[in-house]
Amino acid sequence: MKRTLRWNLALLAVLVSLATLILLPFWFVLTGSIKEPAEIIGREPTMFPQSFTLQHYAKLISASDYPVYMMNSMIVATASTVITLLLAIPAGYAFFRMSFAGRETLYRAILLAYAFPSIVILIPLFGIFAKLGLLDSRLALVLVNVAFALPFAIWMLRSFFASIPIEIEEAARLDGGAPLTVLRRIMIPLVAPGIAAVAVFTFITSWTEYVFASVMILSDAKRPMPVGFSGIIGQYQIDWGLLLAGASLSLLPVVILFAFVGRWFVAGLTEGAVK
Amino acid sequence: MGDVTLSGISKSFGNVQVIPGLDLSIHAGEFVVFVGPSGCGKSTLLRMIAGLEEPASGTIEIAGRDVTQAEPADRQLAMVFQTYALYPHMNVAQNMEFGLEMAKMPKAERLKAVKSAAEILQITELMDRKPRELSGGQRQRVAIGRAIVRNPALFLFDEPLSNLDAELRVQMRLEIARLHSELSATMIYVTHDQTEAMTMADRIVVLRKGVIEQVGRPRELYTNPDNLFVAGFIGSPRMNLLRGTVTGRAASGAALVDVPQLSLSQLEVPLRVADSKISGQVTLGLRPEDFTEPASGGLVVTLHARVIEDLGGSAYIYSSTGREDAIVAEISRRVLPKVGDFLDLGIRGRDCFLFGADGDRL
Repeated sequence: MKRTLRWNLALLAVLVSLATLILLPFWFVLTGSIKEPAEIIGREPTMFPQSFTLQHYAKLISASDYPVYMMNSMIVATASTVITLLLAIPAGYAFFRMSFAGRETLYRAILLAYAFPSIVILIPLFGIFAKLGLLDSRLALVLVNVAFALPFAIWMLRSFFASIPIEIEEAARLDGGAPLTVLRRIMIPLVAPGIAAVAVFTFITSWTEYVFASVMILSDAKRPMPVGFSGIIGQYQIDWGLLLAGASLSLLPVVILFAFVGRWFVAGLTEGAVK
Repeated sequence: MGDVTLSGISKSFGNVQVIPGLDLSIHAGEFVVFVGPSGCGKSTLLRMIAGLEEPASGTIEIAGRDVTQAEPADRQLAMVFQTYALYPHMNVAQNMEFGLEMAKMPKAERLKAVKSAAEILQITELMDRKPRELSGGQRQRVAIGRAIVRNPALFLFDEPLSNLDAELRVQMRLEIARLHSELSATMIYVTHDQTEAMTMADRIVVLRKGVIEQVGRPRELYTNPDNLFVAGFIGSPRMNLLRGTVTGRAASGAALVDVPQLSLSQLEVPLRVADSKISGQVTLGLRPEDFTEPASGGLVVTLHARVIEDLGGSAYIYSSTGREDAIVAEISRRVLPKVGDFLDLGIRGRDCFLFGADGDRL
């Protein structure tokens, strides 16, 4: 069907309004972070900054613990992502390739983890971590993040493995590849989009996780960004400039990650959906 | 070197028995084609030889060694898949090199082997390309290249040409035949295309429902089929199979057959076993090209040319528009009739085959 000019214009209008809806808050956060305090709280909000200052960023970095929180979040999110991938890739491959009793049941059961709101296990988990001496450690957060990301990661990677034609693996077997060699040299490069998707998913959920971090971490020096940052607000009253600068900076790692693997992430989602 | 012996091989998937038990020996250096309709178990049989499927019972020997339980890589064979199965993320050279690397061959030797295989297949200019940048024919060459670098004693081909267009198919057919004569390795080739089987094979194995219907040289199968299935399967267009009745025996020992569909009576058809006692209903087989000029002896029949397929050099006359009950005759372009014409053709009994009610050749 040939699209008329009218259709194209209508389509454009819909896309622009959707994009505006999503991007406008970002715009206010980003531009607000470089406005003078007086402009931020002015009666008439300004679409385009009338003033320019980096004072909020300077204050955030020099006069608050924000860099510490940022570093904690980096450590926790990176470790969670790496460990999730190290566990999910072999698990996804095993669920796809190996036949063992109860495979299908187990495969469905792992998704059951998402049937309960995570808050339900907060108190029991707190008790367990207290007994293990894991409270107030970043390891506790990594464990929680991995536990929440892993079922989805395994489920997603299995469908990616399943989308690879069986002949490719058979050819590799005929070529004399041992199972782990085949996984490393043939299968992993072919499920790279799935791995990227899982990595981004895990990183973002870990990066933004708030509830468990607020309960498990007691000392300020170990707080990850979302919890620590929320403390800044109370501490200095509501310093909007600081808040907006902090919010802008917290986007940075996710934006960088997306810049590297975002294209794969999107391709990955559709691919996983079809197969 | 490269001889294959299958003894009592059987295979089931769940409750479905694909191969009920089969024996076959393939000599070293032979080009054997497994042919049959889809679902006849030919691919399963090949995959069992490759080690990708495990037989339920029986043994597989390659070069005198029992490999029934051996890993695919330990069987000294290479396989070419219908879907090529190239590694998409590796370039052509890496694709061909992978197996050698797994066999721990030193890098210098690997490069040499890849280079010489590439030269044989004339793909040297493609070595840096990824599979997605290749045409279907080029991909198939690379897949064959990946097989020949390993210098195996046995090649397995699983319908390697069915994804190619007709012209490329003919070209690759010749290529594979040339490779066979150059490498003098044993080759087992699976196809459902009886033309491929006829043109390439030293011996053809015709399979139906996991059972070997006949094994033999292409010409043997064509001129001397053991049963109705082989007679109908080998040859294109397929053999005319007509209902007939044996009414008696000629002095020569040949059966006298009436064929009502052709208004024929007393056609003298020689029997395989001259003194076998037969009577009653039979099936008469006659290949389209065995209709002769009416003057050349034998009996004369009249065909109504309802459909004409003119191939240029010759033509096929169909007596009916339905494929199933049409009688097909190949005639020379010099006597080409018009659609709707009636045409007199000769039939000689010695060109015909008789099959009993159970499908066996009489």
